[in-house]
Amino acid sequence: MKNVKRTLTALLAAGMTLSLAACGGGGKADGNLTMQIWDNSQRDAMQALADAYHEKNPDVTIEVQVTSWDEYWTKLEAAAGAGNLPDVFWMHTNYILTYADNGMLADVTDIYDDDTYSHYSEVSIANTMGSDGRMYGIPKDKDIVCLVYNKEMFDAAGVSYPDDTWTWDDLTAASAQIYEKTGKYGYMAYADDQLGYWNFVYQNGGYILNDDKTAAGFDQPATIEAMEFYIGLQDNDWCPDQKYFAETAPGNAFFSEQGAMFLEGTWNLLSEMKNYPDMQGKWDVAVLPKAPNPVSGDGRATISNGLCYSTSAKNQDNAIVMDFLKWLGTEEAQQIHSSYGAAISGYEGCEDEWVAAFDQFDYKLNVQACIDMFDYSVQSVNDATRPVWKSKVTDELLKIYSGELTVTDGLASINNIINTAIADGAAG
Amino acid sequence: MSKQKTMVAKQEQRWAWLMVAPTIIGLLVLNYYPLIQTFLLSFSKTKTFGAVEFNGIQNYIDMFQMPEFWKATWNTILFCILTVPVGIALALLVAILLNAKVRFKGGFRAIYFLPMVCAPAAIAMVWRWMFNGEYGIINSILGVNINWLTNPSTAILACAIVAIWSSIGYDAVLLLSGLQNISKSYYEAAHLDGAGPIRQFFSITLPMISPTLFVTLIMRMMASLKVYDLIYMMIDQSNPVIPNVQSLMYLFYREAFVAGNKGFASAIVIWTILLIGIVTVVQFIGQKKWVNYDV
Repeated sequence: MKNVKRTLTALLAAGMTLSLAACGGGGKADGNLTMQIWDNSQRDAMQALADAYHEKNPDVTIEVQVTSWDEYWTKLEAAAGAGNLPDVFWMHTNYILTYADNGMLADVTDIYDDDTYSHYSEVSIANTMGSDGRMYGIPKDKDIVCLVYNKEMFDAAGVSYPDDTWTWDDLTAASAQIYEKTGKYGYMAYADDQLGYWNFVYQNGGYILNDDKTAAGFDQPATIEAMEFYIGLQDNDWCPDQKYFAETAPGNAFFSEQGAMFLEGTWNLLSEMKNYPDMQGKWDVAVLPKAPNPVSGDGRATISNGLCYSTSAKNQDNAIVMDFLKWLGTEEAQQIHSSYGAAISGYEGCEDEWVAAFDQFDYKLNVQACIDMFDYSVQSVNDATRPVWKSKVTDELLKIYSGELTVTDGLASINNIINTAIADGAAG
Repeated sequence: MSKQKTMVAKQEQRWAWLMVAPTIIGLLVLNYYPLIQTFLLSFSKTKTFGAVEFNGIQNYIDMFQMPEFWKATWNTILFCILTVPVGIALALLVAILLNAKVRFKGGFRAIYFLPMVCAPAAIAMVWRWMFNGEYGIINSILGVNINWLTNPSTAILACAIVAIWSSIGYDAVLLLSGLQNISKSYYEAAHLDGAGPIRQFFSITLPMISPTLFVTLIMRMMASLKVYDLIYMMIDQSNPVIPNVQSLMYLFYREAFVAGNKGFASAIVIWTILLIGIVTVVQFIGQKKWVNYDV
């Protein structure tokens, strides 16, 4: 009995020491690196990258850690404040300016001696930049918003499938037809920015933030017109209202065959194919419909976002971390990444690997349509104060949807919220 | 002799301190230090990554001018009113039933206590399905078409129902322990005097259990004034009814971790502490009127 106790005590002590050791970390020089990510469906791809790098550099081992999206940012902010950031972590356009402008991230603008960065699109590069125009991350991927539709419902209603000739009018006409013939919802428009109204605003020639990010665009006629159109969609019988979406996400409604169309990001397509095997062959993807009478431009736009790999500013001179980051941006690494199908690599020319990842299914999803849209994609909206105004704008939008505010008053209020945040941010 | 006694007493005292030290250190480090920090933070403007700048009572001025804040305060009080009296009454009823001579008493006790063992997140997920306006089981049983969770007037009620459901078991166990301390002889005497069950309840059970009832009441009151996780899980961020259901702690979460405004959020916490403090003091004064300690 005494021996058992002693062993237990020893084990306990060992365990405590180990957990203490695990708490350390940050800016270490040995070959054990941690990589923090938030998307579990990309864990395999990240692990493959870690393994591939380890094979080339046996001294360096990279541990991939996944936390949920919300938790990720709470943790990362605390870690940044305590000077204890992970060695390598994903950065998102929502937050990169906050981190970069506060000096939290290492500048990787000059990491390559060659022309590696020229293989990335302007949008991809822009997504890694701080307000000073320097790059604070190695481009990881690029995504796009596409239209997902239910083929069976289109067939049942006798409507032809969406294609690149479609305008907003076709979208509403098809929705009405499907609702009338099948009783199912048409296009499901809900209160979301990236997977919702942003696309419509830019298609119509409007904008959310002006080019130099000094003012909001919700007072622009093109923006107002697109917002009125988008919010007004819920007035139709064929579109569920915001209360419905509060209980049932559009994706869930779509894959339980309640509605015929919604906007989806490319990062979800592969997991939707896997998660809904019974639905394979019943749905497909298409390019976004264009604005019929845009105030400016040709009516085409889709929001393209991109993540990047970043490291702490403390690691600016850490050769091990920097070399790993450098490798992550090479064609070799980006091809491995793309071939897992969860995200499209930022490196131009790696799109084919991503398209090929969908060959594993019997039904061939028309993912090439997503790739085609990169020609007119718009960079995801962000500025240094977005974390401040993001949730407030959503609150106002919900007030418009619930009828508490008119569209005109609500948009004026949103414009004011963003402009105030920008002014406060500039004042420090 | 007496000197020796003090020596022993001193030594015992030292041991006592040593024994409670882990708890006291834990309390100081994990509760009191953060409390003081929160208090200081409520007078500061916080920037990203922990930078802090003193700005006096500006957070409080902003807070008192914020309509959402007053709405959240009212929501919190309303939630408390909806959950505490009904919850305690039901828990008492359950405790009395479980104290009676029924078959499978142990089984029933376990069943009532089960919600307490379940993870709040899992509870909320299941109830969300049941409350769903489109295909929820509650609507189909009642034969109505109510959007429980998205209708501004029912959302808080739905949350309250779940809160009551998940707290009954725990409260009932506490009350049950109080009931079991009541000597059977009181009831026998009452029975001989011809008192019926109702009279017995009001003249024996209630006064005898009042100290336990009081503790349960205080705890439940505090818990419901601090409600956050349940509402967070039940009401999605994209739900338009948020202003109608968000509690003070929900508002705190949104300000601190979504908007990144930790100084302002700390002011909300201080206000909530004050609110709980006032309610508790009032209860302690009020208890003199109804809690019976002479057993």
